[in-house]
Amino acid sequence: MSYSKAKVEEILNNTISRRSFLKGLAASGVLSALPGGVLEANEDLNTKIPYSGEKSYQTFRNACPRNCYDTCSIKTYVKDGVMQFIEGATESTYTRGGCCVKGNSYVKRVYSARRLKYPMMQVGGKGSGTWKRISWDQAIDIIAKKLLEMKKEDGTLLGAALTKYSGNFGITHYGIEGMFNSIGYTTRLAGTPCWPAGIDAQNLDMGDMWCNDPEEMKDSKFIILWGVNPAANSIHSMKYIYEAKRKGAKVVVIDPIFTETASKSSQYVQIKTGTDGLLALGMAKIIIDAKLHDQKWLDANTKGYKEYKAYLDKEVKLDDVSNVTGIPLAMIKELALSFAKAKPATIWMGYGMQRHTNGGSMIRAIDALVAVSGNIGKYAGGARYGHLNTWGFNYAALSQAKPEGSVGYSGPEGAKGEFAQVGGEKAAYTDRFLNINKTARELMSAKEPKVRLLWVACKNVFAQDFDRNQLIRAFQQLDLVVVADQFFNETAKWADIVLPVTTQFEEYDVNVSYWHYWLSINEQAIKPLFEIKSDLEIAAMLSKRMNQLQAGSCTFPQSVDTKEMTIKEFNPAIYEQFGIQSWEELKKGPVKAKAVIPFADGKFKTPSGKFELYSDKAQELFGSALPKYLEVRQPYDKFRMTSPHSRWSLHSQFQNLEWMEDFHPEPFVYINPDDAEAKMVSSDDMVAVFNRQGVLRLRAKVTDNVQKGTVLMYEQHYHNSIYNVNELVDDTSSDMGAFKTGAPGVALHDTFVNFKKL
Amino acid sequence: MQSNVLPRSQRLETLKRLRDFFNAHNSQTLKQAYDAFSLEHSIDEDELEALFNRYFVGPMEPVADPFASVYLDDPQSVMTQSTLHVRSLYETMGFFYPLKNIVPEDHIGVELDAYYQLIYLEEVKNVAYLSELRYYFFHEHIAVWMPQLIERAMHGRSEGDNAILFILNELKSFLIRETTTTRSHE
Ligand code: SF4
Repeated sequence: MSYSKAKVEEILNNTISRRSFLKGLAASGVLSALPGGVLEANEDLNTKIPYSGEKSYQTFRNACPRNCYDTCSIKTYVKDGVMQFIEGATESTYTRGGCCVKGNSYVKRVYSARRLKYPMMQVGGKGSGTWKRISWDQAIDIIAKKLLEMKKEDGTLLGAALTKYSGNFGITHYGIEGMFNSIGYTTRLAGTPCWPAGIDAQNLDMGDMWCNDPEEMKDSKFIILWGVNPAANSIHSMKYIYEAKRKGAKVVVIDPIFTETASKSSQYVQIKTGTDGLLALGMAKIIIDAKLHDQKWLDANTKGYKEYKAYLDKEVKLDDVSNVTGIPLAMIKELALSFAKAKPATIWMGYGMQRHTNGGSMIRAIDALVAVSGNIGKYAGGARYGHLNTWGFNYAALSQAKPEGSVGYSGPEGAKGEFAQVGGEKAAYTDRFLNINKTARELMSAKEPKVRLLWVACKNVFAQDFDRNQLIRAFQQLDLVVVADQFFNETAKWADIVLPVTTQFEEYDVNVSYWHYWLSINEQAIKPLFEIKSDLEIAAMLSKRMNQLQAGSCTFPQSVDTKEMTIKEFNPAIYEQFGIQSWEELKKGPVKAKAVIPFADGKFKTPSGKFELYSDKAQELFGSALPKYLEVRQPYDKFRMTSPHSRWSLHSQFQNLEWMEDFHPEPFVYINPDDAEAKMVSSDDMVAVFNRQGVLRLRAKVTDNVQKGTVLMYEQHYHNSIYNVNELVDDTSSDMGAFKTGAPGVALHDTFVNFKKL
Repeated sequence: MQSNVLPRSQRLETLKRLRDFFNAHNSQTLKQAYDAFSLEHSIDEDELEALFNRYFVGPMEPVADPFASVYLDDPQSVMTQSTLHVRSLYETMGFFYPLKNIVPEDHIGVELDAYYQLIYLEEVKNVAYLSELRYYFFHEHIAVWMPQLIERAMHGRSEGDNAILFILNELKSFLIRETTTTRSHE
C-alpha cells in the first residue's frame, strides 16, 4: 500500500480540498465508527467553513510581573488558543513597543517543556528524585490534614511558615499571603533581600521612598547613575538618558565596575566598593564650600542642616575622601561643582550599593547630596531609588480574616504593629516573623512551636537565600515542604510536594512598577497548560478542603476566578490616580498616573514634615542621626566578591531557558589582570573560587572592567549546572532595613573570597 | 513484508496497550497498562511509576520528553509547529480533542490513541476513508519522531530500568512493523 504525501498535504492546506474531504468524511459514517479514546469523534464537524485553524490573531493585554524596574506592558498575540508572539505595548511611552531579551522569550517560557505540569510528591524523601504524580485533591488533602494536625498538636498554626518574594509581583499574588492569613496566625519569612536598607534610608530622610518619573530624565541637565546599570537591567530607561545626553546633559556613572551603562556615559568614575557615602559627603562639602548649595531650599525644607554642615566641616576631609574612594580630588571637585551648577540634576541610586554593611548610610548620604544641590522636589531632579506610590490597591486577595479563635504569636517582646496590646492586659496575637535573609538558621532555630511546614511561592529559596548547606539541613528537618512554582528548580528538588503554577498569560492580574508610573491589566490569554493552576485557585482549593475537614478553619474564598479577584483590587483612588473610570479601559492599553513631582510641595512624611538631614528616628534605630560615613565591612579573605544581576536573567528566572543559555551558556568569574597575573590565571582557565562558606569552580575572564582586589560573578542560575554564587555569600546584615521592611538587608557585596587556578 | 505484519487483533491490542501505558495518570493505571503486556519482568507499582516519571513526566527534566515538538522543532518546547500540524491532522480526520490547548496534541499517548482509532476504523469497521491520512500521519510524523524518543530514552537508561526497556522495545517493534506496511508513492 502507498499514499500520496502531496495529496494529503493538499487536503490539509488547500481550503477547497479540505472542505470537500470533510464533507465526504461527514457523509461516510466514519465519525460514528470511531471507537473513541483520548480523542473523540467531532460531532459538530463544520464542513462549511474552510479550515483556517483560527487564522486570525486574538490579542490580549499582559504585563511582565517579574522583579524588574521596567514592568513592561505587553500585547500578546494568540491564534487558535496558542500564544504566537508578544510585543511591548506601544501605548506605554515607557515600554514603547519593545521588551528585553527576557520578555521576548515569554512564548518559549510558557511553552517550555521544562515547566512543572502536574502536582507531584517526592515519595523517596527530599532530594531523592523519586516522584509520584498525585491529583490536586490528593495534594491539597495532604497539606490540609497536615495543617489541621499541627494546629491540634501545637494549639496554633505558627508551625506553618510561608516564604514568598518577587517571582511574581502581580497584585493578586498577595493572595498567597492572604491564604496564610486565612488559616490563622502563622510564621512568615519577613523582610526583603533586595532593597531594604535603601528603603529605610529614604524613609528616614523623606518619610517615603518616592522617585520622580523616569521619563523626566530626558529633561535632566545632569544625571548621575550611581551604582546602577540600566543598560543591562532597566533598558527602557536608557532612552531617556540617551535623549538627555543628546540634548547636552552630562551623564556620569559612578560604579566600582565598568558596566554596560558606564560605556555609554559621558564620564565614568571608578570608586572603591563601599565608599560611596564618603564621596557623597565630600561632594556636598565641596558644593557648600563653593556656595553652590541651595540655601533657600535647605532653610525652608530641611531639618538639621546646621548639624549636617558642622559634621562635614569637622569630620570630612577631602584628601581622605580621595584616598578612601580612590578618585582623584580634582575629579571629585569637578564632578561636585558641575553637578551643583546644572539644574535640574538627578541621581539614580542602584540597589547593589545598599547591599553592604554600610548600605543604608550611603543612600542617606547621597539623598543629602541631592538635597544640598536643591534638586529634591524638582521636575527632572530627585534622589531616585524607587517608589510604591501607584500600589494603592485594595489587596482584597491579601486581606483575609483569621478564623475565629486563632492563636498566634505573643513572644517576649509582645505583639507588634496593629495587633499591639489591647487595654494593657491581654496581648493580641500576631504572626511570627523570621528574617528572610537568614532563612536557613531561622527555620532551624524557631521554637515553640518549631516550624514543621514550609510553603514556598514566587521564590526560589536555594537560589536567593544564603548558605546552601545550612538550607539543606533546614529543609530536611521540616515535615512538609510545599513548593509552588512554574519550573523545577533547586528548591523544588528539596520539596515534598511540588505544585505547578500559572504564568501570567494563564491568569488575570494587575501590575504596576516600583520605578515607572504605568498601570497594566494582565488578561488571561490562554488556558493553563496541563494541570497547572494559579496561586489563587490553589488557595481556594485548600480552603475548601480545610473547611470540609474542619468547618471554619480557613476563611479564604472556596472558589475563585482570577478575573473576579483582579477586579476586586481596583478602587476609586486608583481610578482617580490613573484618570480612568473602570478597569475595563485598561483593555485598550496601559495608562499612566497623573503627573506628580515627588515632594514638590515641600511636604515630607518625616516626623518633622521636612527632609531630615538630622533624623531622631535614625539615631534611635541605627545610632546615627546624621548620614555619617560608616566604614564598610572589613575583608575576611583576599578578594572582595561582587555578584550583580545579569541581563540574561531575573534572579533564577529565565536563565533556565535554552534560548537564554544560547546567549550566555556558562558562568565566569571576572578577574582584574593584575590579580590574574599574580595567580597565573588566564582567560578561560578553570579556577576555584572559595571562602569559608563554600567553593565554586568555573572559568575565568580576565578584564579590567573589575577593579584590582575584586572578583565578579553574576548572580545567575543555569538549567544544567549547580552554579550558584550565593553559595559563597554569608548572611551578614546590612545596616538598615528593619525599620520599614521588618528585617535588615543582606550585605552580599561584602563577601570575600580567594581563588586559584585548577 | 506481509510476514512482518501482526495479526489484526494483535496489532490493535499492542497499540492499545502502548497507548494506555503512555496515557497513564497514576500508578494504578500505569501498572494495569504495564501488566497488560504480560511481560516476564514484573515490577512493583510504585517503582514503575517512579521510573515512568523519571523517563517521561518529571518534575525533573525527563530522560525523554514525550512530545513530538521536542524532537522535530525545538528540544525545549511544546506547542510548536509540529504540534499544530498534528492538530490540523486530527481536525481533518474528524477528531475532537477535549484537552485542546491543555495537553499538546503531539503527546505520545494522544498520538498513539489517534493511531489506534484509525487502525480500528480500518480493521474492525472496514472503513478506509482516513487510510491515506493515517499512512501520512505515521510515515511523515510518528515514524520520524518516536524512534528518536526511543533512542533518547535508551541512551539515558540506567542499569536495571528493565520495565522501561521492555516497553521501549515493544514500541520499537511496533514502529518497525508499521513502517514496513506503507510508504509514500513519491
Ligand atoms: S524583564 Fe523587565 S525589561 Fe524584560 S520584559 Fe520583563 S519588565 Fe520588561
